[in-house]
Amino acid sequence: MADGGGNVVDGAVPALEARGVRRAFGTVQAVSNATLTLQPGSVTALIGPNGCGKTTLMLMLAGLLAPDAGTISVSGHDPAVDGPAARSRVGWMPDSLGTWDSLTCAETIVTFARAYGVPADVASTRAFALLDRVHLAELANQPARVLSRGQKQRLSLARALVHEPHVLVLDEPASGLDPRSRVELRELVRAFAAEGGAVLISSHVLSELDEMVDDAVFMSKGVTLGDSADALVAAARQRWRVAARPGADLHGALSALARDWSPAEADDASQALVQVTDEDDAADLLTAIVSQGLRVSTFGPVGSALEQVYLTMEEDRR
Amino acid sequence: MTITQEQRTRTSVHGNPWLPSLHGTGLVMRIELLRRRPSTKGYIAYGLTFLAIIGLGVLVAVLAGSDKTSIPLELVLVLVLGVGFLIGPSLSATSINGDSGEGVLAPLQMTRLTAGDLALGKLLASWAVSIAALVTTTPFLIYAYGRSGWTLTELLLVLAVILFLVLMATAIGLAWSAIAARAVASVSLAHLTSGALILGSLLLFAFTAPLVSEEVTVIHVQRDSENVTDEQWNDPDFDYEALPCVEVEVPYQIMHSDRTAWLLLINPAVVIAEVSPIVNPETFEKDGRAAPGIFALIHSEVSGARLGPEEPQVYDECAGYFGDEDAWQKRNMEKALMPPAPWLGLGLAAVLLVGSVVIVIRRLRVPYKTLRAGSRVA
Repeated sequence: MADGGGNVVDGAVPALEARGVRRAFGTVQAVSNATLTLQPGSVTALIGPNGCGKTTLMLMLAGLLAPDAGTISVSGHDPAVDGPAARSRVGWMPDSLGTWDSLTCAETIVTFARAYGVPADVASTRAFALLDRVHLAELANQPARVLSRGQKQRLSLARALVHEPHVLVLDEPASGLDPRSRVELRELVRAFAAEGGAVLISSHVLSELDEMVDDAVFMSKGVTLGDSADALVAAARQRWRVAARPGADLHGALSALARDWSPAEADDASQALVQVTDEDDAADLLTAIVSQGLRVSTFGPVGSALEQVYLTMEEDRR
Repeated sequence: MTITQEQRTRTSVHGNPWLPSLHGTGLVMRIELLRRRPSTKGYIAYGLTFLAIIGLGVLVAVLAGSDKTSIPLELVLVLVLGVGFLIGPSLSATSINGDSGEGVLAPLQMTRLTAGDLALGKLLASWAVSIAALVTTTPFLIYAYGRSGWTLTELLLVLAVILFLVLMATAIGLAWSAIAARAVASVSLAHLTSGALILGSLLLFAFTAPLVSEEVTVIHVQRDSENVTDEQWNDPDFDYEALPCVEVEVPYQIMHSDRTAWLLLINPAVVIAEVSPIVNPETFEKDGRAAPGIFALIHSEVSGARLGPEEPQVYDECAGYFGDEDAWQKRNMEKALMPPAPWLGLGLAAVLLVGSVVIVIRRLRVPYKTLRAGSRVA
């Protein structure tokens, strides 16, 4: 995508891959077994409680921290062997904000472009395009110290994009962003994936991730949960909430239709959670219920699938 | 796959390079200098300081006599060294752990910049700022040089050595900031290291004196007056010359300072004195020089230490020999004119400079294998 490295040529090469990655800090085992694969053109969420090793894993994926064991490959480059090649393919946005207070936004981005080896003239055009994209163009000539937290976050995002990376690793990018900026972040991430890039994003706002990601990796106590969590997400995505007007016997209707359902609120027979296989199946179900004379007021997927899975996971905040 | 493989080998930089490049070092230096650019208030403060120094220089020039003296120049040079040793390490000692704490180091490590670029860029930027502070002493330096009796080459040589020593101190500060997690610790350690070089070496020289001292006995020949009574002394006919000659053993303390003189030679202030011109205390006027100043005195004392203990004076009363009366004079000349020995100090400075840069580069290389205790990557 960016520098003709030629790694997205073959769809079989994952944009980012980690296998059995492990890392300890002294006696604290921050990441004990992490495995994940990011395909080009996809957005993947990294979800887990505080202290489960997300940031440490992201640092290793970005090529800043060496794993104690396991392998990492960025478009086929191992950060431990091919440091610059791997790192320059990753756009990394850290959770801790760092800006040079007395440099202006434009200077900051141009400097980073230059540090990535972008020629001076290209660097300045690209800087203004990026600042425009994250809506900081008006502040381009203001020193970074006047920026608010959300604006700094956007500057940090522009910085992560300056070298046209193949992979974006975003650590809590939405924290501190106002609702408008969150929507724009989502659009930006989707656009990046649509252009063939891969994105790994961590956030605690799970409902937001739901609309943004293609895939999710759950992490708990330093371990990535693989297929078991995927199955839970898939099941959660197939769970729909149906509510008819009070007094209606929805439970009876669902049983008559031979549906897999469970009561939603205590003993109220007018509300239920139903398993559906896909959107067509859901449409069929709605037609069937309505044709039985029930007046349906709510019909849709249950809240955030990611949130449901997250909450069913073991409590392990530390 | 084979195509990808080939392209990879062709386009990517293999391994994990750390060597600095001109572009990378220049860029890091630019960032550091831009970050430190003063505000308007800062410019006003610097301007006022500069004016004050010029004023002081003019005042001193007007009030002082016109005879040659190298002391003002030497004082300025000592000041330059002292200020450099304070400013350079102060700036560099917060450069790495400070950036790491502010979260601006890791994003740079992600780029194509190598550990060498970051290390050298930061080192040279801190050094440049301390040099800029020294530029403010220029007016006074020019005046002092005018009456010092030094040649321009001599002055430039000493200035170059001072800047080199300041670069070393700055590099030590940078190394501490790469090692210590907290800025307070690294700044203190940087100044302690400078202090150890400047004051510690002198103290160590003084404290080790007893270890290299020994008692020797010299044999003097004198008339045996031990048994002469008071009456005899008072007797005007008493013939002192008739007393027999005896050998007397006299204990004598000598210090083998030549064994510890290297402690003095590693001192940065001594290095400066050792590269400054040699002044002949007898012919300086004819040579077109000022009278021996501070540096000449330091050189002479250090040379004395290097020469070691003087030959004990032996005298023979019966032969009418009371020691070499010119010995003191000779020794003084020997001390003043002894060839300078700056190489030990300069060599140590070079080792410390290179060693510090190596430490910094090793510490800045990513992916990190070990982290500074108590620090985060970002």
